[in-house]
Amino acid sequence: MIVKKYDEDVSLLENKKINGKYFKLAFHSPKLSRNIKPGQFLHVRVNQGQDPYLRRPFSYFRVSPGRAEILYEVLGYGTAILSKKKKGDVLRVMGPLGNAFTENLGKKKRILVAGGVGVPPLIFLAEKYPTEYLLIGTKSKIELMPKSELRKIRAKILCSTEDGSYGTEGRVTLLLEKILMNQHPGEFFIQTCGPKKMMKVVATIAAKYGVKGEASWDESMACGVGACLGCMVRTRSGLKRACADGPVFKFEDLEL
Amino acid sequence: MKVDLTTRIKSLVLKNPITVASGTFGTTDEYAGYVDPKKLGAIITKTITVKPRAGNPMPRICETSAGMLNAIGLQNKGLEDFTEHKIPYFKKLGVPLIVSIAGESAEEFGKLAKTFDGMRDVVKALEVNLSCPNVETGGVNFMRKQERILNAVKAVRDQTDLLAFAKISPELGDVLEIAGKVIGQGIDGISLINTLRGMAVDLCTRSSRIAKDFGGLSGPAIKPVALRYVYQVKKEFRVPVIASGGISNTHDALEFLIVGADLLAIGTANFVEPQATLHILKGIEEFCRKEKIRCLEELRGSYRPAGEKGEGCNR
Repeated sequence: MIVKKYDEDVSLLENKKINGKYFKLAFHSPKLSRNIKPGQFLHVRVNQGQDPYLRRPFSYFRVSPGRAEILYEVLGYGTAILSKKKKGDVLRVMGPLGNAFTENLGKKKRILVAGGVGVPPLIFLAEKYPTEYLLIGTKSKIELMPKSELRKIRAKILCSTEDGSYGTEGRVTLLLEKILMNQHPGEFFIQTCGPKKMMKVVATIAAKYGVKGEASWDESMACGVGACLGCMVRTRSGLKRACADGPVFKFEDLEL
Repeated sequence: MKVDLTTRIKSLVLKNPITVASGTFGTTDEYAGYVDPKKLGAIITKTITVKPRAGNPMPRICETSAGMLNAIGLQNKGLEDFTEHKIPYFKKLGVPLIVSIAGESAEEFGKLAKTFDGMRDVVKALEVNLSCPNVETGGVNFMRKQERILNAVKAVRDQTDLLAFAKISPELGDVLEIAGKVIGQGIDGISLINTLRGMAVDLCTRSSRIAKDFGGLSGPAIKPVALRYVYQVKKEFRVPVIASGGISNTHDALEFLIVGADLLAIGTANFVEPQATLHILKGIEEFCRKEKIRCLEELRGSYRPAGEKGEGCNR
């Protein structure tokens, strides 16, 4: 199957801070918005100069006809530049890249486990496909998504914060284990995105309860298309490229 | 006005001087969705080693000012996989192929050269990688002993009369001295400059931002250094030179042509703009048209040394 790939200049529709931590950036792209699936990512060039030089990968947050959105945190030089972009500014974007989360789970019920920067693609998934639970773990209340960003989700949303400032105090994996312990774990399928430490715990819990699932695995990337071999992931069938063979991998394939 | 971009390197005739630096264009068709590889003058492959190599742990890359550090570590599936699974792709593609090879010993260099000598319908030249900064054996540390470089080159030359370039870097020692010696050993040309070893520290962990202490620096940050070495080697030895090191746009490419580069290998720029090669190709043509240059040879090596510009120079 030939997957359409695009590399185009897009015009920004909005770029604003939506909570204490994240910015939401929306851009106009009929081509990309038609072809993106939850879990895939796009590769953004934040300026046309040579510093910073590399593109930055971002997972898609939400797509509507003609429009695609990403959520990002200002973590360094590149994202600081991105945060200053205004409506009408032009960005160079490549996508859709990578594989996607499994959309149709058959009779299994979907549990999404999101941590920190891993929240956007899972909200996208929960908005598009039937989902039982969306578990969101953050360090504190300031990272929580505004209610307006969650209103389209019909799944049960449970939140945890590490400092106890909102929802259950502690790690999001506690919420997951509680659900699996009290219900029939065999009915579920887990999809997770977030810090690697968290995803490792999620996969371990899944294995303990015999639940299958997928994780979106992130490594530092340069090319985004599978050429540079910078973002390798250890799997049961050898080293795989996070950008081209992933970023979504089955729990049972990952060598944690 | 039609501009003749034909690039001749001894018996090899290429339709233009644009190629890709080893390891920056995937192993086969990774970029095929973004760029038509048939438009390239040649393709330089990722470095092939006799045995498969798993490469280094993650993180292998990090961004630095106007460039990046990498410590990939020559990950590749080895000679057998390459000849069995990748060569047929390149054969079908029909673009002149320059295979980058690296051995852990002179024998391995010889074996690689011999194998590709038998594939002359596809393989048009070899790039003998003597300067990978990210591997223990066969890399720059190993090759700092000049006799190892010379043995590797000799082993290649003993096995094939395919056009062969030695890829060297300032990390090996004096570039001009090494270039002179490998040319004396019968190598046809020099490929310059590979990455330069650098470092980046994470303030939280107070350790390297990549999984090794050092990585190879590439991108615009190293371009002036590359340009200088290409100029010096070209001037001193007048042998064919493959230039790489931060070539990112038409302006960079023209600078390298003016100092005499025969082939321009676009590297890190591919990661940023998958169509960088084709943009540069188009840019060179446009420049030539504007400057009324009919044939690239009028431009190549036309550099005027600072002291010899002369009063009549209006440029």
